[in-house]
Amino acid sequence: MIEVKDENRLTLDLSKASEEEKKKIKENILDPLIQRQEEVFLIDDSSQKTQKIKQNLPDDNDESLLKFYKDKLKPEWYKALEASIILRNAFKKGHDVTELKRDISRRYPLFGNNLCNLTTEGYFDTHFKQLYNDMIEEDFDILVYQKKVERIITSLPYTVFVTRFKTYDQLSSEVVFKLERLKRYGTGRLLLHGIGRENVSTTLVLLDEYEAEKTITIQKDINLKETIITATLIF
Amino acid sequence: MKLSKITFSESAREDILNLYGKSIDEEGFIVEKENFSQRVLTPQGEEIRLEEWAGIRKGSEAFIKNDIFSLIELAKKLD
Repeated sequence: MIEVKDENRLTLDLSKASEEEKKKIKENILDPLIQRQEEVFLIDDSSQKTQKIKQNLPDDNDESLLKFYKDKLKPEWYKALEASIILRNAFKKGHDVTELKRDISRRYPLFGNNLCNLTTEGYFDTHFKQLYNDMIEEDFDILVYQKKVERIITSLPYTVFVTRFKTYDQLSSEVVFKLERLKRYGTGRLLLHGIGRENVSTTLVLLDEYEAEKTITIQKDINLKETIITATLIF
Repeated sequence: MKLSKITFSESAREDILNLYGKSIDEEGFIVEKENFSQRVLTPQGEEIRLEEWAGIRKGSEAFIKNDIFSLIELAKKLD
């Protein structure tokens, strides 16, 4: 009826207990634990999962990041970000995060998985912060910022992030690869997204490769200071 | 508040619920034994299926879901 899992855990299994025994367990073990000692009584797996989450709650840097986004993202996106940061911490420590990720994807099927991936890759630490800081220097509307972030995240499978951490050849190859894949399986559009003057320039050079392509239409959206670009290749 | 060192197996879920006056309706949601039409709610106001149920804590916030979002709120409150 009680199994010792390791030196720190006891697991109750009531499958062989009589009704009378179950009642006694409730009166003598569960009620005292829950009511008097204010302990939380969980299923074995949930107890382990909770401990994993507790060990990976946001640290000071994470809290600072969350504070930055608290008033900038819609509530459900913020919640997904918080969960993704915890998942990232667990992942860095080598924990299995499959179930945590599945929870995020299930709760937010439209964007959860992508947001989680972008969090792990550090895009909320850099890219989306910089996007906000660049946008706020011009005629700014928080709803526009939110829409931009949401668009980038939901379109992740068909987005190329132009960053200085990749060479031009790497970026060019990525565009080619995604275009070919999307032509076969996708929605008929590929987004290129860049922040910072250098990345905007690089993006424009990448787009030049397709200017002569009759089967591709290019739409460019560049801010006044030319520090943010979102381009769409439609095919 | 802390996690108990006593946990229960998945197979004990229904027994534990039964001991606390709960049952399962035909769609798999946890309900009040005395009133099958009344589904129990998590602190977030969500109905909860048997397989989603993680456990109990004291007070009105008795029913905890097994997903990361519910367990984050719980983990934040633990000592």
